[in-house]
Amino acid sequence: MSSSATEHLSRRQKRRAFKQLEADRGAWYPRWFWPSFAAPAVLWQSIFFILPFYVIIAVAFGTYDALRSPVPIFQPWFWDFAQFQEVLSDIFGSDAKYQAVYLRTFAFIIIATMLCLVIGYTVAYFVARHGGRRKTLFLVLLIAPFWINYLMRMFAWQSLLADDGFVNDVFAFVPGLTPVAWLSGKPYTVILGLVYGYVPYLVLPVYGQLDRIGSSLLEAGRDLGASPWQTFRRVTLPLSKPALLAGVIIIMLPMMGDYYTNQLLSGSPKTTMVGNIIDRSVFEPGRGALGASVVLTLIVILLVPMIYYMRTTARQAVDR
Amino acid sequence: MDRRRRMHPATQEALNRREFLRRAAMAGIALPTAAAILAACSDPKEASGNAGSTTIPLARRDKPVTLPLYDDNPAIADGMEIEKGATLEIFNWSDYFYKKVLEDFEKEYDVTYNWTTFNNMSEAKQKMQAGQVADVFFPTVDVLGQMVGAKLLQPLNHSYIPNMEANVWPAYWDGDTPFYDQGWRYTAPYVIYTTGVGYRRDVISDEEAADQGYDLLWNADYAGKVGLYDDYRETLSMAMLRDGITDINTGDQATIDAALDSLKELIPLDVRTSINGTYVGLSEGKYDVHHAWSGDMIGAQYYLPSGTSTDVLGYWYPADHAGVVGNDTIVVPSSSEHPVLAHTFINFLLDKKHGYENFTWNGYQPPFTSINPESLISGGDVPKSLPLAVVTEEDFKAGYSILELAPDDDDKWQDAWDEFNTSTG
Repeated sequence: MSSSATEHLSRRQKRRAFKQLEADRGAWYPRWFWPSFAAPAVLWQSIFFILPFYVIIAVAFGTYDALRSPVPIFQPWFWDFAQFQEVLSDIFGSDAKYQAVYLRTFAFIIIATMLCLVIGYTVAYFVARHGGRRKTLFLVLLIAPFWINYLMRMFAWQSLLADDGFVNDVFAFVPGLTPVAWLSGKPYTVILGLVYGYVPYLVLPVYGQLDRIGSSLLEAGRDLGASPWQTFRRVTLPLSKPALLAGVIIIMLPMMGDYYTNQLLSGSPKTTMVGNIIDRSVFEPGRGALGASVVLTLIVILLVPMIYYMRTTARQAVDR
Repeated sequence: MDRRRRMHPATQEALNRREFLRRAAMAGIALPTAAAILAACSDPKEASGNAGSTTIPLARRDKPVTLPLYDDNPAIADGMEIEKGATLEIFNWSDYFYKKVLEDFEKEYDVTYNWTTFNNMSEAKQKMQAGQVADVFFPTVDVLGQMVGAKLLQPLNHSYIPNMEANVWPAYWDGDTPFYDQGWRYTAPYVIYTTGVGYRRDVISDEEAADQGYDLLWNADYAGKVGLYDDYRETLSMAMLRDGITDINTGDQATIDAALDSLKELIPLDVRTSINGTYVGLSEGKYDVHHAWSGDMIGAQYYLPSGTSTDVLGYWYPADHAGVVGNDTIVVPSSSEHPVLAHTFINFLLDKKHGYENFTWNGYQPPFTSINPESLISGGDVPKSLPLAVVTEEDFKAGYSILELAPDDDDKWQDAWDEFNTSTG
């Protein structure tokens, strides 16, 4: 039905004509039909993200009761921003006691993420390209750590890294190396724990993407005279970029809130991370609003990589 | 036109009734909505109890407190029957009970128990407020005023707890004692402890420990092997006592700052904080010296690697008994569904045999008149190397207790602890 033909019709008549047109084509669905497919996701997001997020805001700008437990305030017109402002001044002010913790957390996470990228990509590439018939076995081995509780794995590292543990035994055996007091508050021990704990989360999406890159594309690169390195750099790497980005986001987000890795492998004030501030404030009387305020700052910071990820993936979808 | 005027008189009344019901239903819907709107318009800060203040004065040794009774929160009546076949809901710290004692209670009274744990008092308070149902609960002394003020605890009926006067130190029931709950209206004591310094005797001699006391933690020789409790009150109090300050419930900012500065000196020594470093870390040799509760030190013997003698464990506490000393309490929450059983359980724990058995497992000593400090060591319950870990009445006469702070003062302590934990030294 041309637009000129329907110009004289009222809105109701137009809708009826549109329905008739759809019916003539063999199917007509009410307007709510297709959007309704998003209902489970919307419901899920509402219950498990929007509501809890609002509670965090209500706690951050809330008050305390007689027992010094946090009392969320849900009416924005009663919100008290004093605690949030205090946290901001603790991060950005002249006497900013949390600034070092935020910077340290970023440093730990950036280093750990870089290491995860190198290790994770290498492993995923090996399995995808050279795994052959043993791909499934390699994948099972990659997933195997997930069968053991994260805390238990950290406890295992405590034993391995103890003064008289296996790692120091090896160090004592190898000429030129001396035993290290790994567990006495060393930043590199915390980074090691983060890398170990999160690297499988990066390997899996990267492997999935690499495995989907057709060999014909690589052969085409070779046919056009590219060396193996050039083929990797100009074909494989660009094609695996979405998975790398997804993997980085997947590991960075939980690392920002991680507190137990530091707690179990260090416990020193010198390695305190943002997650430890949140953890401590949750368990101390009269500190709930502080913890919630720190969570809000963290969310704002994490929005930056999230937006970058969404923009990049959206652009790639358009390009395709 | 008024419709009612056109109606038959016979139907008019029926419709009036219908109209009444309709209006009642509308009012039923509207009233809560109005209440919600009014609630939304009223400031929640006012409804929440003045953000952390209670009307009950802060208990101090020189200013004892009689916790108030409320007409709408009475104690149970005398002579009631025990709730047979019930499940006793226990709300306690983890690793703080010998299961055999609980199983003995089950057998003796033909009941079962369910043990729910918490990690710290703040978490416990929040759960209790949120409606956690418990028959017995084990709070520290510094939260009693708040919890009684919020009517989360019910008064005890002493007629169900004869073991209190029969077995427990008079300091917990005689006359106007204890100072934090005169006349033991709400509490019975659970266990007692002191806070000192634990050390490895295969690294540090008893003489060195006695000579240095708290300074042992600041000794650079043990850098990398020094541990503190992750507890702001205990840790800052210890730093104050080291500096000769005995008012460990102070709100004085300068005193708190000085304690913080002392603690910061430990950061270059690679100090670490944890809650189980004493009984796990010291036993396994991860630490040479650790801030320690006496009960953790006695319990540490069970965490030693097999083949290691208990002689490696040492504990220092001030020779003049002027250190941190305290006790945990047993109470019946007002949410208790089996209050008679709860009272019976308290009496059971205050029984000489059961209380002692519990001590032999968790290392925390009940304040029983029957317990002789010498016999604890000679009997092998306390390692010979830990004589100062046995708590005596003398410790309570000369020692200092960690007590409730006013909210503003508590914030100062927490800010200091926060600064320590985020400091690079």
